[in-house]
Amino acid sequence: MRRNTRLSASEQLPFENEIARLIVESLHLEIGPEEIVPEQPLFGEGLGLDSIDALELALVLSRDYGMELRSDDPANSRIFQSLRSFAAHIQSGRTKQQTDTRERGVS
Amino acid sequence: MRAFPLLDRPANAVLFRSRDEIWTGADFLRDVARVAPALPNARWIVNCCENRYWFAVVLAAGLLRGQPNLLASDHSPASLAWLGRLWPDAVSVSDTEVSDGPFPHHRVTPIRPHEKASGRPVNPEIPGDRVAAVVFTSGTTGEPTAHIKPWGGLVERTRAGGQCFGFTEDAPATVIGMVPQQHMYGFETTLLMPLHAAVASWSDAVFYPADARAALAATRAPRILVTTPLQLRALVDFGLPQPPEMIISATAPLAVTLAGSAETVWATEVHEIFGATEVGSIASRRTTRDTNWTMYPGVSLQRTLEAPLIRAPFLEPRSLSDDIEVLDDNCFRLIGRGGDLVKLGGRRASHAGLNHILTRIDGVEDGIFVVPEDLDRHPSARLLAFVVAPHRSAPDILAELRARIDAIFLPRRIIRVESLPRNRVGKLTREALNALLESAGPE
Repeated sequence: MRRNTRLSASEQLPFENEIARLIVESLHLEIGPEEIVPEQPLFGEGLGLDSIDALELALVLSRDYGMELRSDDPANSRIFQSLRSFAAHIQSGRTKQQTDTRERGVS
Repeated sequence: MRAFPLLDRPANAVLFRSRDEIWTGADFLRDVARVAPALPNARWIVNCCENRYWFAVVLAAGLLRGQPNLLASDHSPASLAWLGRLWPDAVSVSDTEVSDGPFPHHRVTPIRPHEKASGRPVNPEIPGDRVAAVVFTSGTTGEPTAHIKPWGGLVERTRAGGQCFGFTEDAPATVIGMVPQQHMYGFETTLLMPLHAAVASWSDAVFYPADARAALAATRAPRILVTTPLQLRALVDFGLPQPPEMIISATAPLAVTLAGSAETVWATEVHEIFGATEVGSIASRRTTRDTNWTMYPGVSLQRTLEAPLIRAPFLEPRSLSDDIEVLDDNCFRLIGRGGDLVKLGGRRASHAGLNHILTRIDGVEDGIFVVPEDLDRHPSARLLAFVVAPHRSAPDILAELRARIDAIFLPRRIIRVESLPRNRVGKLTREALNALLESAGPE
């Protein structure tokens, strides 16, 4: 029989944990990073973040990952849907940036 | 009754612009004439347009037909459902397919630039007392309060604002608004200004620092950034390679140090507007220069035995919830923001109201919300609450609160204590609360 080696749905991946830590620290949340359920909504119901938090997260992302959030990005509702989607967005943006840097021949 | 024109700009003046489109005064009048007859019959219009130009067209078309626009500041399903219950005879109108809330939906179809109609545009005169819009303030329980805005009052105030900031048709500036057009401050500065003062307005939503940077890069000087203290702080951290020639801030007091660093780094002017949803923008100051606020032309303060009254055309005289000291008819000093008023993220709640809701939760014997003193200056500042509830957990209480109050006022910490240090008359002093906070330890 094949053993199911998939992570349980509500367990954080290592990069998700890094982002959870970032969210909790930058927004001064009263919970531990590991308490954020990866599929739980970040805004409104769920973690209960609001637009002021979104502004703060945008700053942190630009500072730590060189990424910019834009209002006209149609993917926004998906990006902010959960810790999982948010972390995936940052990771893909980061990979893209590293590729760009290599392509430009900048170390 | 005095009448006011729909538009007070030259036909060729640019009213709104985006990265790849401009809309002139003539475009606006023709679009209003085209859109108005197609609007569905209903008493009210819930204007859900995202593009500021189309928002203005729908506002004007509704005004011509006597259908006031309801400016719902929050398009969450719960808020729109509430609106639907209290304002049942309404339709929602937007510039997209998306239909929000319980209302019948009508879509405004933009026409492509090459299809723009020609012919002489008509600029109708509108009676000053006709209601143009209903603006809402958020209440403690999430139940907004409606404020009626007659066209004459909006026009007179917009003209006053343009005069106060020295806008002129010789060199019209572009206003880049970081505040939504449904909020009174954003409505006045980014939507009404282009119709009755010499500015163009950036038509797209700008919220994040990167949005502001892109909009500034796409517009020519002079540019005016209309923002809030929290966003300005974020922008100073983020950096702007092409800074605006003027910044206007409102919604909360702006720290003089922040205004000063923006002026130094960007060689710009930082101004503040003082206002409230009930009365609109009423005064302004240059933050680094003026301690006191100067009233807009046409708006005056009347001393009374109680709080001073604001007087302006088409406005029922009324007082503010903020504590102000009248220096003369057109100048005041702000002593403190409204004592019982908690302002957060553009929303307002009564402190007493929040406490009342907290203590009515089953199993909560006593409780109080604590409002941090830096609430309006610190981006991550939120309320916290002390509760006496031996048999209920903090997450439990939070869940109950979530169902009863606006999310932004939810306490970030709920600290359970055995009792609250009430004095002999049952009051909690700031000192006693601070001591309790200290003993609760850091976050």
